[in-house]
Amino acid sequence: MRPIASSELFMRLFLLYFVVGVVSVLLQTTLLHLLPIGPIVPDLILVLCVYLGLYHPSVGAALGSFLLGYSVDIVSSPILGLNAFAMSLVFLSVYFSSRSIWLQNPIVTSVVVLLAAVVKGAALVLVWAVFLSVEGFWIGAARYIIMEALVAAVLAPMVFALLRRGQNYVEKFRAAAQ
Amino acid sequence: MLAFLRKNQVPLSSFCCLLLSIYILTAAARGQLKNEPLSAVLMWILRPLQIASQGTANWVKGFQENYDTLAGFRSENERLRKRIQSLEIEKQRLLEAEATNLRLKQQLDFRSHLTGAAITATIIANSASSWFQSCTIDKGSADGVLKGMAVVTPLGVVGQVVSVTARTAKVLLLTDPNSGIDVLVQRTRSRGIVSGSLENGTVLKYVKRSEDIQAGDRLITSGLDGVFPKGMMVGAVIKVRKQHLGLFQFIEVLPAVQSARVEEVLVVGAQSDAKRQ
Repeated sequence: MRPIASSELFMRLFLLYFVVGVVSVLLQTTLLHLLPIGPIVPDLILVLCVYLGLYHPSVGAALGSFLLGYSVDIVSSPILGLNAFAMSLVFLSVYFSSRSIWLQNPIVTSVVVLLAAVVKGAALVLVWAVFLSVEGFWIGAARYIIMEALVAAVLAPMVFALLRRGQNYVEKFRAAAQ
Repeated sequence: MLAFLRKNQVPLSSFCCLLLSIYILTAAARGQLKNEPLSAVLMWILRPLQIASQGTANWVKGFQENYDTLAGFRSENERLRKRIQSLEIEKQRLLEAEATNLRLKQQLDFRSHLTGAAITATIIANSASSWFQSCTIDKGSADGVLKGMAVVTPLGVVGQVVSVTARTAKVLLLTDPNSGIDVLVQRTRSRGIVSGSLENGTVLKYVKRSEDIQAGDRLITSGLDGVFPKGMMVGAVIKVRKQHLGLFQFIEVLPAVQSARVEEVLVVGAQSDAKRQ
């Protein structure tokens, strides 16, 4: 009985994160542009990847982070693979650091997401420089990295709380069904 | 060996994802990644959702504008406020209808100036990342949109199609650092490249120090890049700076089209030529 139940939970969680991923991409491409924070779009996908790295350190989550980055590439990046690389790197960094982090405090959550956003920004700049060779691109990059990281850090505790609530709901639903 | 793989399956799989993304990047940079199926599937899922979501965003934007308009009447009594609100909504609806009518009329007029085929499209989504200036339109290869086609409005150049699925297309805006449009300064006929930058907005590059460029000069497409029809408005010079060293001038440009305010665009092939020049 147990393997069937755990695979069912896996499927439910997969569906939950799939829907959250699609909604995040949708919000980032439409409604979040209405926020009065200049050219910065809050990076919900990044927060989701950090959450997966911290609370679901699994092969599925690694693949999920890659696919989330890839979906951002599909809807907005001029070259495929840029965000897929950055999000995979974020997941890997969070995975390695998660063993030494105790995440019960919203401030710690924000700091972890802030650092992850910096890792993502640095990865984007590095890959951009290697593959796109845009002259002088890095000059304005630092400002973007900092602003994006701050916005993501502010949003992180709320997004984490929502994700945790969604996960609890899925687990309770399964327990009730059993 | 098996125990090692099992113990480190997460970092190993994550590392494999990194390698896969580098492979994709390399293939995409070389132009070998054509007909990539995942894009088509994802865009197929997202397109209707994006249209609905963008509709909601437009509604919220309209609501915000209505709210701002009504903010000055807070002190008035409830009956008058309701009356004003209903009139305002009605007025907004009529103004919107009139503005849409005018825009479409302008597009039709502009379209008659183009010799090649032009496809009318609506912007259904913006970029998901702060790093890229792009948008998604609701027409794709099934409607005749091809990669590399120019995207314009009667006011000027918007950008260029960089990828296409059956029912959508991704447009790289001229304000993106990766874009580059060959332009002429209308007054002096000097040539340069207009491109975006993260630091300074939109800039005109590679114009020699000796060229006479002044604030207010209008920039038009040269037509030499084979993408944009010749003579289309690109923007206007807002600032010129000649540094002590260097071959070129630093020129800031105000794009003719503010992409955030555009709703409908025309997608035109490279063969189209504007007769207005």
